[in-house]
Amino acid sequence: MRDCENIRESIGSWLDGELSAAESESVRSHLASCTDCGEAQRRLERMHLALKAALTSQAPQIEFTSFWRGVERRINEKRTWYEDLLDGSRRLFTAPRVAWMVPAVIGLLLVLISMDFVPFRGSRNSFASVESIDAYGRSVALLRQPETRTTVIWLYQDQEGENETAEDPAKSAPTF
Amino acid sequence: MELNDWELVQKCQAGEMSAFQELVSRYHQKVYMVILGLLRNREDALEVAQETFFRAYRKIKSFQGGSSFYTWIYRIAVNLSIDAQRRQKRNPLDFRESMDGLLETQNEVARDPFSDVHDRELRETLLKAINDLTPEHKAVIVLRTIEGLSYKDIGEILGCSEGTVMSRLHYARKKLHDKLSAFL
Repeated sequence: MRDCENIRESIGSWLDGELSAAESESVRSHLASCTDCGEAQRRLERMHLALKAALTSQAPQIEFTSFWRGVERRINEKRTWYEDLLDGSRRLFTAPRVAWMVPAVIGLLLVLISMDFVPFRGSRNSFASVESIDAYGRSVALLRQPETRTTVIWLYQDQEGENETAEDPAKSAPTF
Repeated sequence: MELNDWELVQKCQAGEMSAFQELVSRYHQKVYMVILGLLRNREDALEVAQETFFRAYRKIKSFQGGSSFYTWIYRIAVNLSIDAQRRQKRNPLDFRESMDGLLETQNEVARDPFSDVHDRELRETLLKAINDLTPEHKAVIVLRTIEGLSYKDIGEILGCSEGTVMSRLHYARKKLHDKLSAFL
C-alpha cells in the first residue's frame, strides 16, 4: 500500500521521462503488476491529453507582420522616466511583499520608538500612539516607563471608530 | 546559412534590428501560446506577448548567453503573465466575460477536438480547474503541457529547482485530477 502511494507520486514524472533509470525501472515494474496503479497511470494520461487539447486548440496562428508592427511601435515609443519607475515599483511592491512589508515597517517603527531613536516632544516619561494602522479601526499604542525600563506595546481595536466621522477626532483617541 | 539564436543575439547586441526581428519571428507563436495558456484571453495574451519582446529588446545587451534565448524569453513572458494574472484576479468580472467568450469561440472552431457533449463538459471543467490553480502551479502545467519543456528548463524559467518543479507539477496535476475525476 505504501509502495502504491510512492509509485503514484512518481507516475507523472515517469511519464515526463524525468526519473533516473533505476527509478523508472522501479515504477515500470510496479505498474506492470499493480492494476490499481496501472489505472491511475491511464487516468493521468487521459488527463494530459485533455489538457493538451484544451490548451492548444484555442490558440490562433498569429500573423507575424502585424505582431512585429506592435513590437516595433513599442520599441520606437519613447518611455518617460516615471513609466520606467512605475514598472519597477510594480515588480517590487507585489501583494505578498506588501503583506510582509506593512507589519515589518510598523514593527521597525515601534523598535525605533522604544529605543528612543525617534525624538518625542515632551518628557521622557512618555506616551506615544500611532493610530489607525489599518482600515479596520485597529491602532497601536506605546507606553514607556524609563524608571522601570519598561515598554508596553498595545494593539487595540477602537470599537466606536467604525461609526465616527472625521469631524469628531477626539472620540477616536484611545482610553487607558 | 541560418544563424543560431546566440549568433542572432550577438548581432542584435551590436545594433542589428533585423536580427531581433528574426528572433521574434522564431518565437512569437510559442511565446503567445504559453501566455494564452496562462491568461486565457486572446487580446491580453497578444498585448503581453508584444510587451515580452519589447522588454527583451531593451534588456538584450545584458543577456550573456548563460541560459538559452528561449528560456530567457519565456522567463520574461511568464513573469509578465503572472503580473497580468494578478490584475485579472482583481477584476474577476472582466475575466469571467473573457472566459465565456473563449469558450464560445472554441465551440465555433471546426477542428475542435472536443466534439461531443461529454468532451465539451470536460473541456469547460478543465479550463475552470486550470484557472483555479495558483499562478505558479499554472505556469508549470502550461510550460510542460504546451511546450513539453524539461524540468531543468522550467526551473530556469521560473527561478526554482528541478525538485520544486517536480513537486509543483505533482500537486497541480493532483488538483486537476480531483476536479476532473468524474470525466476520467
